[in-house]
Amino acid sequence: MSVFCWVKETKDKVSKIINSGQIANAWLRQRCLELQNLLEDVSCGRGTIQHLSLMTDLAETMLAEKADRAGREIGQLVSSALKDHQEVFRSHIETRICPTGGCIKLAPAPCQMACPAGVDVPGYLWLIGQGRDAEAISLIREDNPLPLVCGFVCTNPCELKCARGCIDDAVSIRSLKRFAAERTLDQGGYQNPEKAPDTGQSVCIVGAGPAGLAGAYYLALKGYRVTVIESLPVAGGMMRVGIPRYRLPEEVIEREVAFIRDLGVEFCFNTRFGQDVTFDGLRKQGMSAFLLAPGAHAAFELGISGEKDCPQVLAAIDFLRDVALGKAPMIGKKVAVIGGGNVAIDAARSAVRLGCDDVTVVYRRTLDQMPASEEEINQAREEGVCFSFLSAPLSIEHCNGKLLGLKCLRTRMGQLDKSGRSRPIPIENSEFMVPADTILPAVGQKVIAEDLNFLGKQCWTAKNTIMVDAANMATGVEGVFAAGDVATGPTTVIQAIAGGKRASESIHRYLSGRPLRQAAPLPIRRSDFKCMEIEAETKTALRRPHLPMINMEQRKTGFQLVEMSCPEKQAREEVLRCLRCDICARCGTCVEICRDQIGVDALSLGYMNFEKPGPTNLMVASERCIGCGACVANCPTGAMTMEDRGKERVLLFCGTILNRLTLRCCQKCGDAIAPGRYLDLMAERAGEQIGEPIDQVLCPSCAAKSFAEQIAC
Amino acid sequence: MSAYYLLQDIDKCIGCGTCEMQCKINKGISPEPRLCKVVSIGLKWVETVPRGYYVFMNCFHCENPLCVAVCPTHAMQKREKDGIVFIEEDRCVGCKLCIHACPWGAPQWNPETGKAVKCDLCKDRIDVGLLPDCVGACPTGCLSFGNIDRMSASIRFSHKAHLAAREKTGAASCTPEKIGDRVG
Repeated sequence: MSVFCWVKETKDKVSKIINSGQIANAWLRQRCLELQNLLEDVSCGRGTIQHLSLMTDLAETMLAEKADRAGREIGQLVSSALKDHQEVFRSHIETRICPTGGCIKLAPAPCQMACPAGVDVPGYLWLIGQGRDAEAISLIREDNPLPLVCGFVCTNPCELKCARGCIDDAVSIRSLKRFAAERTLDQGGYQNPEKAPDTGQSVCIVGAGPAGLAGAYYLALKGYRVTVIESLPVAGGMMRVGIPRYRLPEEVIEREVAFIRDLGVEFCFNTRFGQDVTFDGLRKQGMSAFLLAPGAHAAFELGISGEKDCPQVLAAIDFLRDVALGKAPMIGKKVAVIGGGNVAIDAARSAVRLGCDDVTVVYRRTLDQMPASEEEINQAREEGVCFSFLSAPLSIEHCNGKLLGLKCLRTRMGQLDKSGRSRPIPIENSEFMVPADTILPAVGQKVIAEDLNFLGKQCWTAKNTIMVDAANMATGVEGVFAAGDVATGPTTVIQAIAGGKRASESIHRYLSGRPLRQAAPLPIRRSDFKCMEIEAETKTALRRPHLPMINMEQRKTGFQLVEMSCPEKQAREEVLRCLRCDICARCGTCVEICRDQIGVDALSLGYMNFEKPGPTNLMVASERCIGCGACVANCPTGAMTMEDRGKERVLLFCGTILNRLTLRCCQKCGDAIAPGRYLDLMAERAGEQIGEPIDQVLCPSCAAKSFAEQIAC
Repeated sequence: MSAYYLLQDIDKCIGCGTCEMQCKINKGISPEPRLCKVVSIGLKWVETVPRGYYVFMNCFHCENPLCVAVCPTHAMQKREKDGIVFIEEDRCVGCKLCIHACPWGAPQWNPETGKAVKCDLCKDRIDVGLLPDCVGACPTGCLSFGNIDRMSASIRFSHKAHLAAREKTGAASCTPEKIGDRVG
């Protein structure tokens, strides 16, 4: 990642010119200093939108008044930077995030950057830690309208990037979100924010999945009249018909949808876009913009013989949909699921719950290469799902309409392909049979393109998804935007939500006559740089909670929710494990200064190097730290702080109390001076110099004063 | 001891603080740190007349400076050619050891930069033949500066007498011979 940032660059150049002392005119110097302060504000998150005009005005005044060379240089520099890179300055002010990390105080937390929807994770964790669950949920809903759903089924990319994972385990972000959302719902604090006044314009959203719901939520909040067209009889899209109930109960979706409905969003169920209603028809009815988010509900075919001959070969996605909608699909006792994604695991676990004795997942690669989440795979194993790895389906064997099984070939792993995964290579003459009376292929889903044929051929990608500009989700047709699986191909709920949100912003811009975004929006820092105090020992000792699960008997026989929610005490404690990467940019300056310059080596923060983490031990500081404060003086973000509290000096790292040292007092005035460990080290070094121990302890001002008194007498 | 003397004639000083001000302007530092400071000693009765004393205190540029000894980063240095003790700012990491080690509190904390600052006798100025800024600015002329070789006999004698008087009263607890007298 480059660390070049226009704000920082401009600020540095201005400071350099000011510090060079070339500006002789006092009036001019004052203007330059004002400019410098304004730039500083922007680069550390204090900027407001007025800062932009103030800076422009100042720079132009400086150019207009006959400034000297240095003054003109600054004026030119600032006004051209503001003109050419206004978006950068604006985004610093609006998002309080510097994506390059050049403005180090605004360096984003990795969890927030990892989240497709850019949710301010450290911000809401902090609120949960404070017991302010409803505020936490409101904060999440500014970026993700479905926090409850995501609390259950998000693939949590944030946790993969969690710095705490370099020490022990990542912070359990998803379960905290679920905890806060459930609690807020129970206590009635889950509320919609205020709606903007009605704009009178109507927007049509195709599909009530995560992308469609996210789009509907944000557009309704902005005052648009939103109609959602949905072909299924229920809302939720793939969340409802793709994710089994034991992972995501339907009530959860219903409750989220109810809040969106409360905003005045109209849902038309059992209505198929392209068949029951058409693009042109809806346009004529006065729909000003469209968001296409119908998802990818058609299954890819295996392309092997026998696939179409038997009704017992049922696409996993169709099987899951039938289960979700309460249609009991006809399946046998021995089920083979083909594929290695989450859909395959979901189908296998659903089959177990429907009473199948023998469920095997057939996958042509190895366990580590399975795209399904590890947690899911483990839970499937616990429930008795068998796995047949390195097995490529060859044909489906049947006799007189009765399915006999799946003929497979053994594979071995070959070289890496373009996607970074190794290719499975079939081994000759290694055929074997997986006996099965039902086969559920789960080898990917595709978009049902026929319904969207009003979009010309040029609007589609080679992968049969709608071609969109990733920055604004615009399609090739004016006023038509697309998001979710239809635009990205099958992916996660949170990706779809992010797409829906982005599309809603574009629709708002489009309908209010503003140009669309040309660059992808940045996540927004929604919290202040506040943190909670905790002892280093406690912070180290706390462990990621293991969520309780219902018993195996219940898991195998019904669709009851498997994972229970996090108990309150554990949830509040879990928040304290967060290392607050939104405040600390993990530059490692403190560690280097303490080790290489002071020679104390009291900071062991190896987690800061995410790629190659070293050992981290927050407790070392209490043994070694002398309380000199060099780490604090050099911390560019203010993550390290030191306070003298009464007779104690406390070193804090984002609220974590690393060290407490008792202060020694001035023998004359009695004020606290410095910790004993610090003064001892100083006295030792100084004693070596003068050859005798130093026993006098005076604060610097008493030292000066006592000498002055001697002189004056 | 540096190769220079910077002496204050206490009787002439009116405690106006011009030296402090000029020092700040010259060094461009924030209000808190005072590299040279005028310490006022409350009213004392001299026979029947009350009077205040103003003691000018800068860095004494010790022969064996403790600040240099305690500095972990070698930012605090003694200039070889003339013994001026100064801080190389880039090296300073702000541990404040020098501030606490100095028996007179000469190094000061600059909260703006997060580093220590101290009087360097305006070495950049004296290198080009100018006076330290405090000396140049003093309106009463109570500060005098010069090369120690050229210190006049009268100053030496008066200083000697002053020290001797202090020895007698037992006031000199800080072993001034070791740490540089009142001579800059």
